[in-house]
Amino acid sequence: MSSTVFTIARDEWRYWRRSSLAQTVLIIALLLAAASVWVTHAAISHTTEQRQHMQSESITAFEEQPDRHPHRMVHYGHYLFRAPPPLGSLDPGIDSFTGNAIFLEGHRQNGATFADQKQSTGLTWVGRLTPAYVMQVLTPLLLIVLGFGVMTREREAGTLDFLKVQGVSPLVLLAGKGVAMAGAGLLVLTPLIIGALLTVLKGAQVVPVLTFILSYLIYIVVWCALVLLISTLARSNSVSFSGLVAVWILLCLVVPRIASNTASVMVASPGKLETDFAVLKKLRQMGDGHNANDPAFKAFKDNLLAQYNVDSVEDLPINFRGVVAQKSEADLTEVLNEFAEQQMAQQQSQAVIARMFGWLSPMIAIQNASMKLAGTDLENYQRFMREAEAVRFEFVQSLNKLHAEGMSLEQDANKYKSAEARKAATVDAENWQMLEEFQFTPLPAGQRFSNSLTAVLQLLFTAGLVLAFTYIAGRRV
Amino acid sequence: MSWSDIRRETAFVLRKKSVSLLLVAACALALFSVWTGSVEVAQQEATIERLLEGDKADREEVTHKHHAYGYIAYYTFHLTYAPPSPLAFAALGVRDVYPWKHRIRMLALEGQIHESDTQNPELSLAGKIDFTFVIAVFAPLILILLLHDLRAAERAAGRHDFLIVMARTHGSLWPLRAGLIVLGLWLALILPFIGGAIVNGVPIWQMAAVCAVVLVYLLFWSLLCYWVARFTFPAPVLASLLLGIWLATTYIIPSVGNVAIEEAYHGPEGGDILMTQREAVNDAWDLPHQTTMDAFVVSHPEWQGKTETSSLFEWKWYYAFQQVGDENARPLFQAYQQIAEQRYEAAGWVALLSPATLFKRTLTRWADTDAKAAWQYERDIRTFHAELREFYYPFLFNGSEYNEESLAERPAFQPNNTNKYPGIFH
Repeated sequence: MSSTVFTIARDEWRYWRRSSLAQTVLIIALLLAAASVWVTHAAISHTTEQRQHMQSESITAFEEQPDRHPHRMVHYGHYLFRAPPPLGSLDPGIDSFTGNAIFLEGHRQNGATFADQKQSTGLTWVGRLTPAYVMQVLTPLLLIVLGFGVMTREREAGTLDFLKVQGVSPLVLLAGKGVAMAGAGLLVLTPLIIGALLTVLKGAQVVPVLTFILSYLIYIVVWCALVLLISTLARSNSVSFSGLVAVWILLCLVVPRIASNTASVMVASPGKLETDFAVLKKLRQMGDGHNANDPAFKAFKDNLLAQYNVDSVEDLPINFRGVVAQKSEADLTEVLNEFAEQQMAQQQSQAVIARMFGWLSPMIAIQNASMKLAGTDLENYQRFMREAEAVRFEFVQSLNKLHAEGMSLEQDANKYKSAEARKAATVDAENWQMLEEFQFTPLPAGQRFSNSLTAVLQLLFTAGLVLAFTYIAGRRV
Repeated sequence: MSWSDIRRETAFVLRKKSVSLLLVAACALALFSVWTGSVEVAQQEATIERLLEGDKADREEVTHKHHAYGYIAYYTFHLTYAPPSPLAFAALGVRDVYPWKHRIRMLALEGQIHESDTQNPELSLAGKIDFTFVIAVFAPLILILLLHDLRAAERAAGRHDFLIVMARTHGSLWPLRAGLIVLGLWLALILPFIGGAIVNGVPIWQMAAVCAVVLVYLLFWSLLCYWVARFTFPAPVLASLLLGIWLATTYIIPSVGNVAIEEAYHGPEGGDILMTQREAVNDAWDLPHQTTMDAFVVSHPEWQGKTETSSLFEWKWYYAFQQVGDENARPLFQAYQQIAEQRYEAAGWVALLSPATLFKRTLTRWADTDAKAAWQYERDIRTFHAELREFYYPFLFNGSEYNEESLAERPAFQPNNTNKYPGIFH
């Protein structure tokens, strides 16, 4: 039986070799796939290099600052850059829609700045030339053009009855045609598979890479089965073709956008600007850390005085202003984090709604599986934001500690009196060696894998469903 | 062509299940896009309302709390925004990527203006369906499905030659049938738009212009389909050919063009601008005041002679070095901006080969939701920031006593494109 299946598949391939339409689309698809892998890889490597360079420049700049008042360094701040993960060269995901640099300073959580899209040509609104897009949207179209007639052609030519009389069961015929189409799908997938395997050499973990490839294979199976199903059900070539194109438009172009519209209509996300008001309000209640005399710090002051058993802040062994800066930064950060988490949760719930549509459209499922495994999805972006916040809090508090312990209150209070006084209120530049090398790494492999499971499950579900229908339809031929 | 011809063909076209199904689907999608687009725009307007309110309350609190021009300028934020135009519901454009709201204060502007308070990036990636997308991308596909087998279907059914012989005039058969289909599709798509346009208060002339440009766009694709449908190939081959044209012009040419343009125009990275600005601002703390002031009076000669400082910290010096920091970063920013503009302009040439992109550029231009509108907003912010500085400088440099009443004269941001044409439901 299996030899019959392969004979049928080989025959289908021979048919494609003789058809100039089939050949043309195969060549175009292969060219697009290869070009997309190459172009995206080149662009992402360039970006990675550049961001890594700027990252180390930023650290050097910080460390090379002269002796200073530590609070000056709090506002001098630090930059973090987000370098894309290895698989990002196959699926850049949301990379170009998010800011890629973030400025870290005291008392503020800045948003990421300079999204690439802000310098874009505006030409990529339908889709970008990335391997992910070519595989997710264009490969199905290729399979349709190649395979719309696999069954209807036999039916129109009357050969279907011949085959049946000769003892080829329709299911075997379907299997053979399916193998032929999967072969074509695999051929177009080759550049992506090679690219994915190459990322392993560059440090990508094996499990996500293999799952990445596997999910694209399932996706190809889904579309092969869809083409077989509709070609089996349709009366004629032209009905099959029109039907398949309509399904493609729906699943690949319309449903994903409906998903995104639905999500943003259902969950309004107010944006950072609006939460800033709430933060400012709380900040005023808590007192401004720049002003140690703010009445908001009275209880804190009394406590501190009691703790050290002294009567006035001047008698404290540490710089009261620095202590206030530390405390207010900690309090403020708590508030900032609360709002940041709120906003992330809102974006998350929007994304969850959009991802639910993966049960309807395999294109959404593969897009999510692919981004999650590549580490270029919303979760990984939020991870970057959280890591950046941790870095910010740590270096700001180390500086505040220097502020509290590196000078007396008197020195600190008089720093604008004269040039000498200003010099007295500085700490040694050696202290600036506090930054650690930062390189953003996406979620660990296991986490990415388990995050992608829902999407992979959606793909498997669709594949199972369509294959089952194809089986039923095949038995009725 | 007679009335009976029209009646006959209309009945024929509408009785075909696939035709009416596609027309209904197109209409439903247009309705959905208009509805969600209107909700989106309403959300943006509501956001601006809330921001304006919060901004006002915040400013009042600051005014109440501080009693010196230096502090007031430091702590007072000013909301700037670009409200959506009436037509924005039909062309959401790039407002999900480019910021349309910022809160600005008198500190160095380059450190503030590049923040992006944008929307969910994962939704931006999927893209939104707006009326522009429905017409530019979706409508040609529907036309291809409707028109590619205009003749091939009749040929396959064996009626082709019979129909040719029976037709009274040449125009009463294929052109009439195709014309009716195109008209039907146009109506199915444009009626939801007109509804949305009335609700959103789009001026009549703009509504008419959109209807016309949609018709022209549909006619372009119809003629192409009509022409291809004449070839005596089987229907699927004709449809593949048309799909190929659609794919090449809608996706391949733009995305390849994008790669080529990005290669061709390179400039400073966004990060460089921020770093330069930061270095300039921070170095100023350690420089003698006079160095900063000398640089400042080059661009602000009116304050020559008033730049003496008597202590190590003075507000006029503080704001002067903020400004000098901006001026240092400006050439870099201008180069960055120039690259963006050159890329966009080059994309205009590519758009000539891509009708869908051309259509989208046209509609987003009219709706003020394209990159150009975003740049204009950025220029508005820069103007406003300059006005703000001009307001405070006299107080700071003349050492005026603080007087709260003088704040009444403080400039407030005026958005450029307010709702100039209130609709009948507004």
